[in-house]
Amino acid sequence: MESKRKWACASALTVTMLLSACGGGGPGSSGGDFTGDKLVLAVLNDQSGIYKDASGPNSVKAVKMAVADYQNKYGDKAVVTKIEVTSTDHQNKPDIANTKAAELYERGGADVILDVPTSSAALAVANQAKNHKKLFLDVSAATTALTGAQCNKYTFQWAYNTYLLANGTGATVTRNGGKKWTIIYPDYEFGQNMTKSFTDAVTKAGGTVQETIPTPFPNENFATFLTKAGSGNPDVIGTMQAGGDLINLVKQFNESGLKDKGVELAVGLMLINDIHSLGVEQFAGTLFTDPWYWNQDPEARAWADRFLAETGARPSFEHAGNYSAALQYLEAVQAAGTDDADKVVANLEGKKVNDVFLRNGEIRATDHSVVHDANLARVKKPADVKEDWDYEEIVAKIPAAEGFPPAEASGCSMKP
Amino acid sequence: MTQSVITQAPADGADVAVAASNPRLRWILLAAGLVAALALPWFVYPPVAMDIVALALFAIALDILLGYTGLLSFGHAAFWGSSAYVTGLIATHYGLPFPVAVIGGAVFAMILALPIGYVSVRRSGIYFAMVTLAFAQMVYFIGYQWSDLTGGENGLQGVPRSFFGIEAVETDSFYFYYAALPILLFGMWAAWRIVHSPFGRVLVSIRDNAPRARALGYEVDKYKAVAFVLSAGLTGLAGGVFAISHGFVALTELHWTTSGDVVLMTVLGGIGTLWGGIVGAFLTVMLADYLASSGFHGIDLITGSVFVLVVLLFRRGVWGTVRHQWNSRRRRRTTSGEGTGR
Repeated sequence: MESKRKWACASALTVTMLLSACGGGGPGSSGGDFTGDKLVLAVLNDQSGIYKDASGPNSVKAVKMAVADYQNKYGDKAVVTKIEVTSTDHQNKPDIANTKAAELYERGGADVILDVPTSSAALAVANQAKNHKKLFLDVSAATTALTGAQCNKYTFQWAYNTYLLANGTGATVTRNGGKKWTIIYPDYEFGQNMTKSFTDAVTKAGGTVQETIPTPFPNENFATFLTKAGSGNPDVIGTMQAGGDLINLVKQFNESGLKDKGVELAVGLMLINDIHSLGVEQFAGTLFTDPWYWNQDPEARAWADRFLAETGARPSFEHAGNYSAALQYLEAVQAAGTDDADKVVANLEGKKVNDVFLRNGEIRATDHSVVHDANLARVKKPADVKEDWDYEEIVAKIPAAEGFPPAEASGCSMKP
Repeated sequence: MTQSVITQAPADGADVAVAASNPRLRWILLAAGLVAALALPWFVYPPVAMDIVALALFAIALDILLGYTGLLSFGHAAFWGSSAYVTGLIATHYGLPFPVAVIGGAVFAMILALPIGYVSVRRSGIYFAMVTLAFAQMVYFIGYQWSDLTGGENGLQGVPRSFFGIEAVETDSFYFYYAALPILLFGMWAAWRIVHSPFGRVLVSIRDNAPRARALGYEVDKYKAVAFVLSAGLTGLAGGVFAISHGFVALTELHWTTSGDVVLMTVLGGIGTLWGGIVGAFLTVMLADYLASSGFHGIDLITGSVFVLVVLLFRRGVWGTVRHQWNSRRRRRTTSGEGTGR
């Protein structure tokens, strides 16, 4: 009898102690504000295929850097102490992305999914985010559908979209004197959309698009298309090719002699990793839009140095975008004091943000497009390269208001 | 005849005969399979379980051609994908219950298979594979370019999952699994019926010796074409369920790699075994699913190695090897005069 009571006393004491220990963790840590008492950031991207270098495993490291920075900044005051970063390989297969996203939300305890290259995969994940009422911060997928016809309350597009690429390069180059354009594009959805956006941007800036030339996709021999493009004596040839096709086209453009005639080459989508893998001499002189460049200013450079120490490579804009998305998500969680998606979304919406990646950034409430200043870049000549990864010269700043489509024009309706 | 069958194909007719002569074993296996199908979503994440069963039917449907008719189709993604798109479009635009949409998709796949099959079966071997691949590529590019309808490379997003207003099925993938399972089980039963019907025996005879079948008065091309259409229809059933389960249709469903994946599953499980497709689909899907979260960056390397190993070491596939071992043990017992109480 005696000993039984002792036990009861002791266990009651233990429970109280445990409870009070939990309660001492700072504001809003009553236990119920975080599902599973932790925050889970899930990076879902291509860890093994063609987009591995552009985002891939290094994006996971960038997100981990953001978590470390958040923990250093808030220390004891952080509303959540246990933060997990998980990594999942969607293998660029939309089916797997779709199933894995659902599984991460339902069973993995994921509060937010980040990155997701490949537009079809990102659109599928956006749908899962909507159904599960959990956040999805897209970084690497460029389709404007995410912030347009298929936008939803829980999906944000953080880094860039096809409109920015077209408008940034198209309008800026035209204003700088490249009035007559010929566009070569791969004949599928992405290429067609980009061509349309480019044509609009060039026309609006006072230039003309003389000709648009579709090519098969994928394709190796661009000689006939380049000859045809050159016959109209354009100021600029715009190419919407990407990846291996882009590399082939650029090589053949260099050999065609068009460069010596003063024709400029503008590229729709290019990442610093493309330049790194093919070599700067192949791309020298090419104009393209880079939403963020690691050496654009001292702040970016300081972060890029940390990234280099962490990964052994310089960051692409997608790496920096993932860092920024994770960091701002954590800031919003801190402000909201909970991982409740609706409250976090409410905090993010309409916020003006500046960080390593976002300059004059604004998280637009109307279409969940995160707009910010971007760069028009030119690939340096080999002689001008002073250090590893020093490939780009910033030709012009593209202000957020010009680079991104006006919110009214997005076609997004947030109604559930 | 029996002799030539055994030496020629890994799917030897003698095995089927022995298994069929033991109905009790067959019922036990069938019951075990059913229990496994019903229990699967308790152990595997339900959408993944659905993928396994849908792809299993896909592999079984391919096996009707590959294992029982001796035709390697390298274009079955056309039927899988087009059914997925048609199912998705019916569900999106007309809001019909999903089984109706799936049947619509399967019917479309059969209609599509009619001209393709009619032309392709005139060739055999590698030429048949190439012709089917060519047709599948045509279908792929139609899906690619007709983006107003199919969504192009972005895919057909937001396919609803309506089921007579029963909310549990419409929102929870666990209950959806049980709602969709009968469709797929029906497909598997149909495949079994086709293979074990007189029609199926004619297919096997065509596979083993087409000139002799022709000499016996069978119209070989017609039989092949019908088998092709039936296989496409079952593929369509599987593709439709897959589309509804995922809630969207990606262009990859039409891509030739999908045709390749299903051939891999069939070979992995065992050609000419029918149920081997289930084993192949299970292994392939579970492997891809496991590796996706494993942090290992070389998924294709592993799946490729597994395929090479299976082809080198177990030419009959996993299921085929197990069945062969079982049967040869039985046969030894029978010939030594024990075991059967006849």
